[in-house]
Amino acid sequence: MTEPLTIEDLSAHYGKVQVLEDFSLQIAAGELVSLLGASGCGKTTTLRLIAGFLEPTSGRIRLGDQDLTRLPAHRRNIGLVFQNYALFPHLTVAENVGFGLKQRGIGGAERAARVAAMLERVELTDLASRLPGALSGGQRQRVALARALVIEPPLLMFDEPLSNLDAKLRVGMRAEIRQMQRANGTTSVFVTHDQEEAFSISDRVAIMQAGRIMQFDTPETLYQRPANAFVARFVGFENLIPMRVVAREGESVEAEAEGGARLSLSQAEYGAIPDAFVLGARAEGLLVLPPEAPGLPATLGLRSYLGRAYQYLCATPAGPLTAQGPLGAPQMPAAAARLQPLAAQCCILAPE
Amino acid sequence: MLKRFAGWLMSTPATLLVVLLLIVPVAATIATTFGDPRGPFAPYVDFFTSSFRRAVLWRTVEIASITTVIALFVGFLTAFVVSRAPGRLKSILIIAAVFPLLTGVVVRSFAWLIILGKNGILNNFLLWLGVTEKPLTMLYTEGSVIVAMVYLFVPLMILTLVGVLEGIPDDLLQASASLGATPSATFRQVVFPLAVPGLIVGAVLVFTGSFTSYATPQLLGGERQMVMGTLLYQRAMVAFDWQGASTVAAIMVVVTVAVVLGMTRIARRLNPMST
Amino acid sequence: MKQPLHPLLIAFAVVVFFFLVAPLVIILGAAVSDTTFLTFPPRGISGRWFVKVFEMAAFRRTIVTSLQIAFLATGFALLIGLPAAYALNRFRIQLPHWLSTVFVLPILVPEIVLGFSLLKSVQVAADLPVFSTLVIGHTLIVLPYAVRVISASLSAFDFSMEEAAVSLGSPPLKTFFTIVLPNVRSAVIAAFILAFITSINDVSVSLFLTGPGVSTLPIQILAHVEQFFDPVIASVSVLLMLLTVGVMAVVELTLGLTFLAK
Repeated sequence: MTEPLTIEDLSAHYGKVQVLEDFSLQIAAGELVSLLGASGCGKTTTLRLIAGFLEPTSGRIRLGDQDLTRLPAHRRNIGLVFQNYALFPHLTVAENVGFGLKQRGIGGAERAARVAAMLERVELTDLASRLPGALSGGQRQRVALARALVIEPPLLMFDEPLSNLDAKLRVGMRAEIRQMQRANGTTSVFVTHDQEEAFSISDRVAIMQAGRIMQFDTPETLYQRPANAFVARFVGFENLIPMRVVAREGESVEAEAEGGARLSLSQAEYGAIPDAFVLGARAEGLLVLPPEAPGLPATLGLRSYLGRAYQYLCATPAGPLTAQGPLGAPQMPAAAARLQPLAAQCCILAPE
Repeated sequence: MLKRFAGWLMSTPATLLVVLLLIVPVAATIATTFGDPRGPFAPYVDFFTSSFRRAVLWRTVEIASITTVIALFVGFLTAFVVSRAPGRLKSILIIAAVFPLLTGVVVRSFAWLIILGKNGILNNFLLWLGVTEKPLTMLYTEGSVIVAMVYLFVPLMILTLVGVLEGIPDDLLQASASLGATPSATFRQVVFPLAVPGLIVGAVLVFTGSFTSYATPQLLGGERQMVMGTLLYQRAMVAFDWQGASTVAAIMVVVTVAVVLGMTRIARRLNPMST
Repeated sequence: MKQPLHPLLIAFAVVVFFFLVAPLVIILGAAVSDTTFLTFPPRGISGRWFVKVFEMAAFRRTIVTSLQIAFLATGFALLIGLPAAYALNRFRIQLPHWLSTVFVLPILVPEIVLGFSLLKSVQVAADLPVFSTLVIGHTLIVLPYAVRVISASLSAFDFSMEEAAVSLGSPPLKTFFTIVLPNVRSAVIAAFILAFITSINDVSVSLFLTGPGVSTLPIQILAHVEQFFDPVIASVSVLLMLLTVGVMAVVELTLGLTFLAK
């Protein structure tokens, strides 16, 4: 019932604009993969290509052994959950859920039984005869999910399915979708612009930008070891400091940032450090120390209270940086300080 | 304090115009039919006992109904094609539908005089084809009136339904396809049901429009195919039978209002978007 | 959606559009024909029937009358319809619900019944001149366009913009002209055009209200067709179509034509 999805060298245009170029992606059977990126990155285009609503200019889409590339949309057998649910307003909840079965020529008792079982699963049995217009956002979402699941597709796709729900409901639905997907073991593609959502729900995440995959990895790897500056910025490394190595001594490396400020970094902590690199640091990975301590010299600016620490905007010779200091020792604006990176919250990137 | 009356102040001139010069005169027309010295319903008894006038009413209903059904069928299919046409072509098609609509009723009916006449284009064409030996009489028949009426109202239907069809979100069609519906199944099970309210609106516009038309039946039907509109004119301006004319007018108002109210009620019940 | 349309459906639409456009082409052909009778395809090309239109006093007069009435009726309808549309949206809560229904009534009443009633109760009873009753009748049939088209546009207007302008020191009337009106400009243009075209083409109301010496162009055309069947009518029709083309060009330049489909 579940199949791996293979996308090979897919290209697509909107008019003259190339939105996807030589796009390749391998999704294992039963895996849930998110396509994550800002609007216009090509994630929705990819989904529409897989669903068959757009035609690629080149490339292939395979689901298991079947080549989907030239198959019309209605014969692809993919369960789709739309951003605005796309429930048929003239059909009841039960009729909406049964729509796909009807198209497959499944009639009468069997259809009714499968619809009833599915409604039971999404806890909508009581609303079976309502029209979608009479449902809340969360209920509509569950109808959409039920409608896509009941046809038992080998591939499920979600197009920002949670973006129309309020924050609380969103977290709940997220868990429901994940559980449902786990239980069925259906290969799934999940499109979203919300990083937290993608990371919490997915086995692997493809971070996209301008029609290309910037990195395709598990959430843990993406979060801790971004492959490039784009991904680093995307997953919250606020500070990207270009540096070059001026001296090496064993594992210890002396690196200089723009403006001449120097840091000593240990390759034991950071891994191999090339001669030119970018130091990526989250705000909590850049510690505010007194001016006599080692680190990047900085002048503190705006301070904000985060509950577990203070965050400072800092002016440094290497440009503005964001750093954090302990609650016990609030620093005054305009005070001189040093910023010391903490290896656990930092990463070494290739220069852009 | 002026604020409280600002709304009234601004809407009053238009309201007064409609009330004094539309509602009152039309109401007066209807009222006179009940003020007959022979009794309140005497003019209606006259109307319905006259087999000629009954025939006129029946013919008008028939022409309007047939026109509506044809316009619905033609308009819906055409609107579907227009709504799915690529951008540039769609604009051209819409212009092609808007242009006849903005061209007057008289001009558009006149065109059919040239086409359907004894020496008209269609007869010449049929003679040339050898389909017929001598010119057919096509003018002044019910058919000629219906053809011209369909011509008159199809653009209106197309434009109404293009609006409705474009209002159906693409997502619904995609959802339908993703669930395995063939294009024709999507058309029957999703597009058509969602267009029904629009079809009703279009049907009301076409039915009331053709039921109350004057110029087209006058030009293409003449005396022989008298309808309510031409009967009203004939009673009022030729026979100077104002009571009879008022009766015809009252029946036209009643039928129009009944159709509009009845159909909007049905439309409201059928409209899934309204819940 | 990439699912292609069925070829039969496309063929059907092509036939329909041929059916829509062909009669108008036929009129154009008949108008330029160098014959004394109506025929298509034209035999010889001549502009003499266009000259003839302007040589005939009845057509000259009715063209002028029709334009005068159309401008006056459209002007009046906008003058009273714009404030009414504004009031219906701005003061929605204060005004009773039925008030907006009042402006739907002219559509509910068959035009021919309105024409007859105006003749009976206004022209004859109040002994009003023919021209004035025609203007009244036309104002009534075009008023719904003014109110409804502008109202639809105003219903999407955010009146807090107006409040913002007033709070910044702009007097209410000035605010209306500098803030509200520019935002519904296209609706006003659309209302004007629809109203003007409706008035120019009207038959059913004018039918009863025209009188000795005062008639409108469509009524004159009707009268002429019933007696003569010559290319003059085709030429007048072409002139009317040119007017429509002119109006559509204005729409295209100001709003884009697809606007009319909404």
